[in-house]
Amino acid sequence: MPAKIIIAGEGGQGVQTIAKILTKAAKKSGKNVSYLPSFGVEQRGGVSLAYIQVSSRPIPYPRFSKADFVVTLSSRSCETIKNFISDNSLVIYDSAEIYEKDINELKAEIKRFVAVPAKNIASEKLSTKVANIIILGVLSAQLKDISFQDFQDTVLMELAAKIKIKPELKELNNSALQMGAEFAQNYESSDHLTGKSPDETVRSFENDKVKWTRFPEYCKGCSLCILSCPVKAITFAKDLNFLGTPMPIVDMEKCIGCGKCMQICPDGAINVEKK
Amino acid sequence: MAENNNFPKSWKKSSKPHKFCPGCGQSLALKNLGFVIDELQIADKTVYACDIGCSLLTWDMFEIDTIQTHHGRVVPTMVGFKLAKPSAITIAFMGDGGGYAIGAQHLINAAMRDDPITAILINNANYAMTGGQMAPTTLVGQKATTAPNGRDWQKVGKPIHGPEMLAEIAQEGSYIARTISTDIADCKTKIRKALQNQIDGRGFSFIEIISMCPVNWHTDALQSLDFSEKEMTKVYPLGEFKCPQKLA
Ligand SMILES: Cc1ncc(C[n+]2csc(CCOP(=O)(O)OP(=O)(O)O)c2C)c(N)n1
Ligand code: SF4
Ligand code: SF4
Ligand code: SF4
Repeated sequence: MPAKIIIAGEGGQGVQTIAKILTKAAKKSGKNVSYLPSFGVEQRGGVSLAYIQVSSRPIPYPRFSKADFVVTLSSRSCETIKNFISDNSLVIYDSAEIYEKDINELKAEIKRFVAVPAKNIASEKLSTKVANIIILGVLSAQLKDISFQDFQDTVLMELAAKIKIKPELKELNNSALQMGAEFAQNYESSDHLTGKSPDETVRSFENDKVKWTRFPEYCKGCSLCILSCPVKAITFAKDLNFLGTPMPIVDMEKCIGCGKCMQICPDGAINVEKK
Repeated sequence: MAENNNFPKSWKKSSKPHKFCPGCGQSLALKNLGFVIDELQIADKTVYACDIGCSLLTWDMFEIDTIQTHHGRVVPTMVGFKLAKPSAITIAFMGDGGGYAIGAQHLINAAMRDDPITAILINNANYAMTGGQMAPTTLVGQKATTAPNGRDWQKVGKPIHGPEMLAEIAQEGSYIARTISTDIADCKTKIRKALQNQIDGRGFSFIEIISMCPVNWHTDALQSLDFSEKEMTKVYPLGEFKCPQKLA
């Protein structure tokens, strides 16, 4: 049976990496395959999309409007994939990365789904970098026309250059693929679309003269605020902004409320108010 | 939730975070522009045009009527709009590849004709959206994907000085200046003058804004600040090259 697959996520999450592996594995298994990457016009930080078709018959056209498998890796890309979901689609999503509120926006569209906490499995058992390969593992369990061996071989082939520099990547990626496949085999379907709960990020910090507020939904972690502070009151914190990069935090014992950080921030992600 | 005074009121809230890369100087210039539009209270009569290049990422930046054109055509498009509706404030926003190379004829002729629009051009020393090719503004010796050994001026000429060139052909009553997006006060002052000149109905207004492009320069934040504030301003001095007396 031909399969139409769409994969969506943020640039940098590895969408095109797993799309390439899937494409090459399908070819290795003797299938016809088409792959169409599609990025936003942004140089960075846009939604990254991959259209893939796998079939035993010739594929006349690489695009499609409804997909059999809809994969989404980020909250922002949920909106993008909405139109590709039909009643027959299987939606696969990273429930440790996507907010519960965002996936539930698609409640009316989603009839079948696999919620895989890939980011958590990756960070707890392997490394956060392989969350995409876990998702690929889940997908591999659905695509019976492509042998698992071909998936395994292609992962190692595609990452060969990186493995050469860091040999431990071989085992990490292999395990990630297997964990994904096993997760899919043992998956018990449910009616409840689970996801990440809202962050409890502290937004505002105060001293007796100044209130300093940061906005994780806008901050891109460029560090211009850190460099512009004349008293070096700002550093990067452990908590993350919407892009998943570190977010600044302020030491209110030092802050003099000059507002330089606020002025330089290209994204309007800091607000400084004198009391 | 705390109020965010760091968001110009003329920015469209629903399209934020905007689409520029982390630390992009062009987006900082647009924040400065947003605040000046707020200050002058002209949002409801302003029309904004963005070009092709990273500037097109602003098709939904402002809560302002917006049009997008190809390479430098923001200028004649806004001139046409202004002719049809003289009460409008028209802003033509473009990159250095669009304004100084691919569509340079438009800027030059608008300056010569003294068309009463405000043109803003981002000088980031490369063609950014397409991945860092050499632009007319690329510094001598600066590497670009199409100049892997650095710009060789004997082969491709020296960096273009837009404001200086336009000041030579512009008429009295024009306002022509260069600023840098990270000097917030200077940048806002010059944007304000370039808009005020149009509001007063005096003539052509043009500013070039030096801006960081960390992605294509392959620089971190500190190196980006250094390159734009030290290296670029050495070649491209900040200043006003033509300023009507009333604005001085
Ligand atoms: C006539 C034409 N040639 C080439 C292109 C491809 N193109 C799209 S954006 C761009 C670069 C624009 O660079 P610049 O004006 O410096 O803006 P920046 O991206 O640096 O902000 C080019 C060459 C095009 N769209 N049209
Ligand atoms: S300047 Fe703004 S976007 Fe950059 S790190 Fe600071 S808060 Fe974040
Ligand atoms: S307001 Fe001034 S002193 Fe306080 S953190 Fe920002 S730059 Fe530093
Ligand atoms: S490529 Fe350069 S100019 Fe374009 S958005 Fe990114 S940093 Fe800004």
